[in-house]
Amino acid sequence: MVADLTQADCLRVPAQSLEKPSSNMEVTALQVEQLGLQLDGKVILQDVSFSLPTSGVTSVIGPSGAGKSSLLRCLNGLLTQWSGTVLVDGADSRQWRGGWDRLRRHVGLIAQKPVVFDASIRANVCFGIHGWRQRRRADELVEISLRQAALWDEVKDRLDAPAATLSVGQQQRLCIARAVAIKPAILLLDEPTASLDPRSKQLVEQSMQRLARDIPLLCVTHDLEQAQRLAGRTIFMCDGRVIEEGESNQLFSQPECIETREFLRWSVCDCN
Amino acid sequence: MNSQHLLARDTISKGIVWLLAVPALLIPTIVLCYIFWQAAPVLDWGFIVGTTDGAGFGVSDGIFAQLLGSLLLAVMACAIAAPFALGTALYYRTYASPRQQRLLTAMFNMLQGIPPIVFGLCGLVVLVNLFAWGVSLISGAVVLAMVVLPLLVLNTLATLERIPHGYTEAGMALGLGNGAIIGRLWLPRSWLNLLTGVLLAMARALSETAPIMFTATVFSGVVWPDSLFSPVTTLQTHIFYLAQESNDPQVISIAWGSAAVLVLLVASLGVLARLLYKLGED
Ligand SMILES: Nc1ncnc2c1ncn2[C@@H]1O[C@H](COP(=O)(O)OP(=O)(O)OP(=O)(O)O)[C@@H](O)[C@H]1O
Ligand SMILES: [Mg+2]
Repeated sequence: MVADLTQADCLRVPAQSLEKPSSNMEVTALQVEQLGLQLDGKVILQDVSFSLPTSGVTSVIGPSGAGKSSLLRCLNGLLTQWSGTVLVDGADSRQWRGGWDRLRRHVGLIAQKPVVFDASIRANVCFGIHGWRQRRRADELVEISLRQAALWDEVKDRLDAPAATLSVGQQQRLCIARAVAIKPAILLLDEPTASLDPRSKQLVEQSMQRLARDIPLLCVTHDLEQAQRLAGRTIFMCDGRVIEEGESNQLFSQPECIETREFLRWSVCDCN
Repeated sequence: MNSQHLLARDTISKGIVWLLAVPALLIPTIVLCYIFWQAAPVLDWGFIVGTTDGAGFGVSDGIFAQLLGSLLLAVMACAIAAPFALGTALYYRTYASPRQQRLLTAMFNMLQGIPPIVFGLCGLVVLVNLFAWGVSLISGAVVLAMVVLPLLVLNTLATLERIPHGYTEAGMALGLGNGAIIGRLWLPRSWLNLLTGVLLAMARALSETAPIMFTATVFSGVVWPDSLFSPVTTLQTHIFYLAQESNDPQVISIAWGSAAVLVLLVASLGVLARLLYKLGED
């Protein structure tokens, strides 16, 4: 196992420095090196390395079961049994000051399945804010966050209604609002538009792009057109590995790997 | 032909299940009816709110003091046990390693299997004699707390287990620490179910006789205990003493009356617990 890793290491480093000569000097918001993950003895992720620039959208595409959600869960510390290194703003995420809780406030995650808390819509948006006084005085923040999630117009008249009365698509946007309300420095999104209609999808994409001007976004999506629309960079994952990574328009128009080409054309990946 | 055959088999298996189930339903019903039948002559409002001075060997007056004593012991036992049970269950869910979790589960399952009289004996030796608390309310409450603790812990664990993992995870993803997860997610969501557990534990404490017999109760002469260190009288032990000591049919019918009140008390706790549980579900 150890021998394997070092071997991969040797192969990997020159390749990377050829690809992006400046990446070692430039400050990256998130740098993942040789991330590996095993759950119940099953390899979920292996040798995943990539980095996020300080702003802009990076899309993650790949077939179901490729380990995309697991990757996001490793990055914000919901899973901690991974191996390798994750540098967040240059600091090791395992040695993050204040521990995993603090890291999770810094690296926000919007999960694949929307889960709202048994509370009002308003309380849901403020849920992550520290201190009940701050939560009570957060009206402005609630509005901004809900607007960012393209939900404000639909719920502005019933902020005190239970969040469970919202539709699934609205709940998904509520989860986005809840995550942006604590102002994370990096935002991970797991299929944020999966259960949205075209109109809300468009609104959410717009606000993602607005957010991406200031902070880096890592967005898992099954919608290849969305990945193209979001521009930025794209990472193609299959079977727990990063197969190809590059500028979105480059990757979609001239994919280098045969697996990527197959996936883009037929949505299948046969990478072992 | 074939379907008829199946139908016949179905009828036979139904019959067998019925035959086995009927005694289990019938016997408790008969027992209950019998208790109330026997209790009927003495059961009235005066019986419940009256107090006996002990002079007439419990024959005269009512069982108010016993009722109070029983409730007091049960409430105190739960008040003592509940915080520890909650703490243990929360520790189990948050900080305990898998090995500690296995150990805790095994321990509380084992504790639940210990006969309550053993706790009574320990209480007698340690609390009553060693700590010199005497036969008192506090000794009985602590012993009963020990008896109901495993029940409460296992109930609390089951309640916490029903909180979906995704719910907790959504809180964690917002950077909430363990304290906030417990205080703002778990407790608001499950306090009704936790209260259900406490009521069931109270019902259990009300049904226990052996552990309080030589740690907390006297036969009579007490209405309201002066302090934590005074003995009490309870319905359970009242029934025991009356039934054991007397041949007088009127005394026996007072025992039946006490039994009926105790049954009603436990049953109403059960119904209340059920209602709360239903409330907590939706
Ligand atoms: N807790 C777990 N224990 C064991 N295996 C798991 C666990 N969670 C995920 N897996 C496995 O990890 C693999 C990757 O799962 P993951 O959810 O990351 O895929 P995904 O790329 O997000 O798929 P999808 O696009 O369908 O959401 C799957 O094979 C899954 O069975
Ligand atoms: Mg997924």
